[in-house]
Amino acid sequence: MSVDTLFDFLGSIIPAMEGSGLLLVIAILIPCLLLFLVVAVNAIVMVYAERKVAAFMQDRVGPMGQGVGLHAGKWGLLQTVADALKLLTKEDIIPKNADKLLFILAPFMIFIGAFVTIVAVPFGENVIVADFNIGIFYILAMGSLGVIGIILAGWSSNNKWSLYGGMRSAAQIISYEIPAGLSIIVIIMLTGTLSMQGIIQYQAGGMFNWIIFANPFSFIAFFIYFISVVAETNRTPFDIPEAESELVGGFHTEYSGMRWSFFFLSEYANMLVVCAVAAAGFLGGWHSPIPGYFDSNGWGVFWMMSKIVFLIFVMMWFRWTFPRLRVDQLMNICWKVFLPISLINIFGVGIWTLVFG
Amino acid sequence: MSKYFRDIYESLSTMMTGLGITWMHMVRIRKNNVTLQYPEEKWPRPERNIGFDHSNYNVIRTKLHVDIDDCIGCLKCERICPVQCIKIVTEKAPVRGDDIKDIGHVGVTSNGSRKALVVTRFDIDMTECCYCNLCTYPCPEECIYMTGGPNADKHPIDYEFSEFDRSDLIYRFAKPGTKEGMNEVLSKDGAES
Amino acid sequence: MGVVHGEEMVLNIGPQHPSTHGVLRLKVKTDGEIISEITPVIGYLHRCFEKHCENMTYDQVIPFTDRCDYLAAMANNFGYVVAVEELMELKVPEKVEYIRVIMAELQRIASHLLALGVYGLDIGAFTPFLFMLRDRERILDMFEMTCGARLLYNYMWVGGVSHDLPKGFVETAFQFLDYFEPQIEEYNKLLTYNKIFIERTADIGVLPQDVAISYGVSGPNLRASGVKWDLRRNDTYSIYEKFDFDVCIGDGGQGTLGDCWDRYYVRMLEIKESVKILRQALAQMPKDGDVHQALPKKIRPPKGSIYSRTETPRGDLGFYIESDGSPIPTRVKMRSPAFTALSVLGELAGGWMMSDVISILGSLDIVLGEIDR
Repeated sequence: MSVDTLFDFLGSIIPAMEGSGLLLVIAILIPCLLLFLVVAVNAIVMVYAERKVAAFMQDRVGPMGQGVGLHAGKWGLLQTVADALKLLTKEDIIPKNADKLLFILAPFMIFIGAFVTIVAVPFGENVIVADFNIGIFYILAMGSLGVIGIILAGWSSNNKWSLYGGMRSAAQIISYEIPAGLSIIVIIMLTGTLSMQGIIQYQAGGMFNWIIFANPFSFIAFFIYFISVVAETNRTPFDIPEAESELVGGFHTEYSGMRWSFFFLSEYANMLVVCAVAAAGFLGGWHSPIPGYFDSNGWGVFWMMSKIVFLIFVMMWFRWTFPRLRVDQLMNICWKVFLPISLINIFGVGIWTLVFG
Repeated sequence: MSKYFRDIYESLSTMMTGLGITWMHMVRIRKNNVTLQYPEEKWPRPERNIGFDHSNYNVIRTKLHVDIDDCIGCLKCERICPVQCIKIVTEKAPVRGDDIKDIGHVGVTSNGSRKALVVTRFDIDMTECCYCNLCTYPCPEECIYMTGGPNADKHPIDYEFSEFDRSDLIYRFAKPGTKEGMNEVLSKDGAES
Repeated sequence: MGVVHGEEMVLNIGPQHPSTHGVLRLKVKTDGEIISEITPVIGYLHRCFEKHCENMTYDQVIPFTDRCDYLAAMANNFGYVVAVEELMELKVPEKVEYIRVIMAELQRIASHLLALGVYGLDIGAFTPFLFMLRDRERILDMFEMTCGARLLYNYMWVGGVSHDLPKGFVETAFQFLDYFEPQIEEYNKLLTYNKIFIERTADIGVLPQDVAISYGVSGPNLRASGVKWDLRRNDTYSIYEKFDFDVCIGDGGQGTLGDCWDRYYVRMLEIKESVKILRQALAQMPKDGDVHQALPKKIRPPKGSIYSRTETPRGDLGFYIESDGSPIPTRVKMRSPAFTALSVLGELAGGWMMSDVISILGSLDIVLGEIDR
């Protein structure tokens, strides 16, 4: 919806170009640039938050700076800026026998996979770049593009360790998409629509209308979905592909400088997307928990962002608490535990809706 | 089959316990914080002080220092050093216990012993020093010691002595010009007598 | 139709790696993810310790013994000093014995904390590592109070110790023990009984009793396989017979006997036992006594040789010293427990996956300084 309104708006202020194709392109580019800004700011904030949350859980303080000058600002707020500057000035090393084209292409593929899904994520009542009527299906489908990037990164580094990491990661992501998708089906069954805004509108009217509380089966579906997406974004306890102590760096061992930071940018962008889908699908999206309380138009963005931030915090909390799972145990859990439970969920939601209306 | 469900139950319960522990640590960070923010805060931190200031330590391991005026040139520290990082060269003083003003040699140590030798070279290579403290024990005049701690009244504590150039870490404690000055004194003495 | 053979890949877990505990190179032959053969390559940290000892007097050797197993330096000092004193037939005062036992047990707790924390880090649990290091720092503070150094002490000398315990050491130690015992419960809740950790370590790398004994494995690795062998009981040195403590053995609590979880758990139990010994030693220690009383003027052992062994946190540390009556030893040989632990890695790791090898290596608790000397 935003693109259309922006198109009309631009047409009204520049009558000369009204209705032309160029204006349409501009009307598409501007929200995309804004989204890119959102992703970049999100990465900066999340890197800082991750380090601080990690530190607080480990009885230490993390990046701090109490003076001016060379220190990273009070409370270390400028730490990520300092990191970004450092990464920009690093030497760009490409291993000698690496497949150069694929090596350079891989970070971009992953980033595209994350970025392309963000256009369909609703941040507020009218704040969405493209309100597809197959919104959630589009997100699930496009989210799989990231796997190509990881396999390319592992393969093109010409390093046995990176290959291991890439293969493991590909297996992991592809397998965990299934329980995630099946949990999404629970939402679709209840709401009857694939469009993101439609799903959110179904949950209007306060906290107990949210899909997570509709049904004990959808309650379980939320947890299955959440843990599956923790696995999809390669976070601990499923971070075997980047397991530092085993494979040094997994598929991104050979990358340095800005290329490496692209991997992390896309990991954080992925986290944003999946938490947004979880918030929109299960937790009521941009509705406030108590109807009528801070419920007007502008507050939608606030509620959506606070739910996303909470879910991201829970992901970080998991990372610093649990040890890592081994690859075959990971697969075991996916196929033998999550898949049956998701199928039972679908069945259960169907029966429940039939019996209780 | 029951093992399957028991596994799921155990996983969930242990995960919840683990999450609880880290949450408790996170919210109690103000009380639990153990970071010492160097260089703004230096050791020891008062709140976390185990009751000891470094001046109360039995012994301390920091930078070595020599009060060259007290050194009688007995070479005990050079012999006991396990890595041979101390190099001392001495010359016989013409008169025992006398000051030699030209080179700044003090004839009597602060403990009252009269020096028979003039130390013309006392080099400690801090890059080799293993901080074992063995050299400080045999010194009869207690002129070689590690700064700070129980020796804080002789020399304030110093453990931040990094340099940009490795050759700056060879500490030369003999007073500059001692060797040439001694050669002159001895040749003068020889000419006289 | 024949059997389809996959290609065997030879991988190198190189000398620089975040989770080989030191500079160790492992040549690994794998088939996909399953390991078929492991060959450790050592020697990257060889510093000619034994050759150096032939050129230095007996007391100059002590800083060098510190640096062999740098994570448990007091234990190394203890082993060497006990050997020389036995060669010289020197008896030390009772206070010195108590101080040595206190320091050795504190060092045991510190070393085990580090081993467990680093093991958790290898498995992927980042938080218990920092908690355990925080507690280890308190022990290192106590060492700093006494001998000035935090890691390489040069504290135990032939015939005594270098300095007496400072005023307030006993109170600080009791405070530490009261603070520390509930922490062990927290570590158990956070890591030891965590289902994911148990999945990663139970039933993996099982070391059968007979294999352990035939390889000469000692210390917690041996005790985890069910063999009740502790040098503090079986071959008593110093005053360990005065203290009441149990020898902890593994019992296959979460899987087979002798797996990685057992080795982890035995170390956790040993920390508790060390706390017990410490409480008794601190209470029974004589308050006055001169620690420098028995320090010999010149260390000249009579002609002869001796092999004596002590129990370090890693196992059974042996010193063979040969003397010909001069102040400089003719030969000092150190038998390191981690060397045997590393040699049994090849037996343990066949048939497991890559992540399991890291798990097994971490559970053996090796320190390259001791292996390479």
